[in-house]
Amino acid sequence: MSTLADFPVKPEARPYLDVFTETASEPEWLRRARRTSLDRFAEAGFPARRSENWRYLDLRSLEQHPMLPSVMGRPMGVPAGLGLDASAARIVLVDGRFVPELSRLDVPSGVWLGSTRQAVTERPGLVKAFAADTGSEHPFASLNAAFFADGFVLEVGGGVSLDAPIEIVHLASGAGDASLHTRSMIELCHGSRATVVETYAGEGKYWRNDFALWRIEHEAALTRVALVEEAGEATHFEDVDAVLLSERAKLNAFSLLLGGGRMRQEISVTIAGVDAECRIDGAFVVGGMEEANIVTTIDHRLPGGKTGELVKGVAAGRGHGAFQGTIKVREGAQQTDARQTSRNLILGRRASIDTKPELEILADDVKCAHGASVGELDETALFYLRSRGLPADEARRLLIEGFLREPIEGIADAPIRDHLLRRLSLRLARLEDQ
Amino acid sequence: MLEIVNLHARLKDGREILKGIDLSVGAGEVHAIMGPNGSGKSTLASVLAGREGYEITAGSVTYLGRDLLAMPADERAREGVFLAFQYPVEIPGVNNMYFLRAALNAARRHRGEPELDAGQFLRAVRARLKLLEISEDLMQRAVNVGFSGGEKKRNEIFQMAMLEPRLAILDETDSGLDIDALRLVARGVNGLRSPDRAIVMITHYQRLLQYIEPDRVHVLQGGRIVESGDKSLAAELERRGYGAADAA
Repeated sequence: MSTLADFPVKPEARPYLDVFTETASEPEWLRRARRTSLDRFAEAGFPARRSENWRYLDLRSLEQHPMLPSVMGRPMGVPAGLGLDASAARIVLVDGRFVPELSRLDVPSGVWLGSTRQAVTERPGLVKAFAADTGSEHPFASLNAAFFADGFVLEVGGGVSLDAPIEIVHLASGAGDASLHTRSMIELCHGSRATVVETYAGEGKYWRNDFALWRIEHEAALTRVALVEEAGEATHFEDVDAVLLSERAKLNAFSLLLGGGRMRQEISVTIAGVDAECRIDGAFVVGGMEEANIVTTIDHRLPGGKTGELVKGVAAGRGHGAFQGTIKVREGAQQTDARQTSRNLILGRRASIDTKPELEILADDVKCAHGASVGELDETALFYLRSRGLPADEARRLLIEGFLREPIEGIADAPIRDHLLRRLSLRLARLEDQ
Repeated sequence: MLEIVNLHARLKDGREILKGIDLSVGAGEVHAIMGPNGSGKSTLASVLAGREGYEITAGSVTYLGRDLLAMPADERAREGVFLAFQYPVEIPGVNNMYFLRAALNAARRHRGEPELDAGQFLRAVRARLKLLEISEDLMQRAVNVGFSGGEKKRNEIFQMAMLEPRLAILDETDSGLDIDALRLVARGVNGLRSPDRAIVMITHYQRLLQYIEPDRVHVLQGGRIVESGDKSLAAELERRGYGAADAA
């Protein structure tokens, strides 16, 4: 059953409109949200190449060969070494759908953790907050809202501290060259804290198109770590809306993009609380023909906010990386302290990295600084390591790893940090052969 | 151990720096190479260690009977050549201990010896840190990052003590050191003197040679060794300056 649209539909959106069906078992508010979102996507189509936020990513192949939403997943397990050794709870989503047999949902009282589908019945209030698409600049988030199969919801009640991390593993089987859409939410009530580690991996060809909303209330602190190790032919898009709702809310986000033909992560943070703080750090590694794109927007709306950003990138082979970071400081957001750094390393003549820091400052009593660089391996350092007996390839690897360690070392939780460093080492061991 | 014959080297821009160096260093010997700024001292050290950016236009260097110039820098190191840098390099993100262990094990693998286990390695590290009065927490930092000038130089000698080279080349190791640091460095180097190890010290000043007594002293000037003698030559140079050596 296709919807009737009374406005011009972009041709690249047509195949998605054609396969849209309503699920009778879903509540009317959700079905309505899906329809509205589909209409938005149909009208907007894919982001234009001239759209600033998408200028560094080539979407033509995706436009020409539609990857329709997956209808059914194919069972698969979590690859060895990919998961954390010790997590409080684990949710595994395969092809965008919650797999209870692979998941562990034991959480303390005051915490609700489950799949988005389950939350539709048990936590409808929360799902209503993120089911409908809100932004017009994010057509893939609209597509996601129309089609999402599942996702996860974590709600941490006031004053509750989760010591061990909550782990979310997103797997893709590659069945049917399909697109996978999960829609998720993390809500931290006042004074609570939680660490969420999300890992992405898969096989074959697929297009992951995820969306998440994070809301952090006063004096609550969320640490969220993303580890992206998608298949070589995969497209990985992730769009996050984070809102620091009230005073002294805190967000620490870290992303490590290690694999995937086309990876893009966009995080938009709204600082809507006085003295709220966020750190958005990340690192990407691209080799072969891979593309990675980290896009961040931090919108300081209230005074006393703090932002720290450190994103490092390494490109080898014909890899292409890009960092786009915007920091806005609105008129009322005095005493904002924002620092943004983008450092990049290019290995070889065919690799490339773009970096585009942007500050829009409308308040006069603020501290804002940004820096960006793109360079090559330091020959003097390389000689120093070799002069101590390290073979050239080992010396190069050590330097590349050393370069990327800085943002990872900002992660306070030692087991998570070590896990990421291990995954990074494995990735770098095969980087320069690509 | 080391035979340098008529060595000529130039920079990539064509400037000739070394214009026919002849030098023979035997096992167990300590040689000092002195000379004014720009005489080619550091170039000689770089060429021996295998740094890129120099072109050898004539001459040969034989180390333990092998053609040293044919080996890449890292192989020279694994074969027992060590260069203490004039300006030790800071390497952010690379942990000192990790680096040192990787270097040590690369050499051991090269010699067909088993790698050191963590306990053996730590014991070796601690003994040598003590000798050079380096605090153990410096070792947990990134290589040379946040080290004072003196700590960097001591770290070079510490690395040398760990790697136990056959041929050590110290490039201006005394520059920028206060007297206490100089004594520690000298103690470290003297502790490494042995019948099967040769040490070549490159220095601008005689000061270092009061603490590490050389068997031979050479004056390098204009890309050539213009004068050689025993340790008394160093004192003489201090008196009369390098200008007179030219005339000699």
